[in-house]
Amino acid sequence: MISLYRPGDSLLHRLPAGPKLLVVMALALGVSLAPADPWTLTGAALAVAACYLLAGLGAVEIARQAYKLRWLVLVMVVSQVFFLPALTMAANVVRVVVVILLANLVTLTTRTEQVVDAIERALTPLRRLGVNPSRVALMLSMTITTIPVIAGFATQIREAQRARGVPAAPLAFVVPLLIMALKHSDDLADALTARGID
Amino acid sequence: MTELELSAVTVEFPGRTALRDVTLRLHQRRIAVIGSNGSGKSTFARTLNGLVTPTTGEVRVHGIDPVRQSGQLRRRVGFVFSNPDTQIIMPTVAEDAAFSLRGRGLSRAEVRERVAAALHRVGLSEYADSPAHSLSGGQKQLLALCAVLIGEPSLVVADEPTAYLDAANSRRIARFLLDEMPQQLVLATHDLRLAARCDIAVRFEDGQVVDQGDPAPVIARYEHDQDES
Repeated sequence: MISLYRPGDSLLHRLPAGPKLLVVMALALGVSLAPADPWTLTGAALAVAACYLLAGLGAVEIARQAYKLRWLVLVMVVSQVFFLPALTMAANVVRVVVVILLANLVTLTTRTEQVVDAIERALTPLRRLGVNPSRVALMLSMTITTIPVIAGFATQIREAQRARGVPAAPLAFVVPLLIMALKHSDDLADALTARGID
Repeated sequence: MTELELSAVTVEFPGRTALRDVTLRLHQRRIAVIGSNGSGKSTFARTLNGLVTPTTGEVRVHGIDPVRQSGQLRRRVGFVFSNPDTQIIMPTVAEDAAFSLRGRGLSRAEVRERVAAALHRVGLSEYADSPAHSLSGGQKQLLALCAVLIGEPSLVVADEPTAYLDAANSRRIARFLLDEMPQQLVLATHDLRLAARCDIAVRFEDGQVVDQGDPAPVIARYEHDQDES
């Protein structure tokens, strides 16, 4: 969501975010509950690949997204290989990979703004219970925006420690990170106020 | 130009007084605010946008009270912070620019149109769908300016807008603020070359206005005092 969106004009790009999210949720549920049958799971994997092609993302993008999951796959294989039959283990891995690739497909073809708007609309009925959908949507957007900022702080701290020859210590990393994050939240609050959000 | 008025404004923070009994009346288009670190420049700038509430005294910005009429004020006064990273609120460039138009009753098409025009104005059209945090420092500051100008304010307050930028980006931002932007500008800055290009310079020291007038002599006296100390 942070940097995945690829502008395009495919059918999947034009599909409204709400229905797209619902379809992905339904498909994810279907894949999770599907029997551990090689043909069914191969079919699911091929269907996801077809969706990527339909979105004009190409085989390279499928490979790139799948490659990002290598460590997750490794952890899943290692944790299951001695306890489950090979077919069940493979089915579990394929299910998780397919669901993540589907979720990534949504982020690749949907602007954050559209996802946030869809969530805001979905939360509208909760207004009666005192929930403010606009606030929730804003909070979600800001969380997405803040992730790379916090990652940047973490890099700065690591580099500063390395530059001063400080050995890696969790406390010496977490404390400055927390302070920087709190300072950032103060500054962000000012920025929000300056732009008319109290 | 309409006026910025401060009448006997004092701002106190725990343990220090940031502004002391400041009375000012300014109507020039480009107003430079200079002074040493901790002199009260930023507090003065923040007071104009209601980010800081005076402990005593009254502020009027184009006839609006920043504290009591904060909603009305924020549509008229845009604020540019020194650190471009802390003013990005939404994930992508276009979304961040569009955020300033929330609650204005504009249709999606109108928002899109105004965002496209505003990004074009600051030269960021090609980055519309890029993650805002992937921009360079100068581009982020241009985005911050774009997010301010899209709301069509009548006054732009910029607190050290070039502090985090290299020479080329500083010149770009300065050119935009001082030459291209038609709005009234309050520019709090340490960069005396920028201050020299304004219509008036106001010098703060220790929370008080100690000098004001034509930028060249005000800056000369400031530099002289700095050399002496």
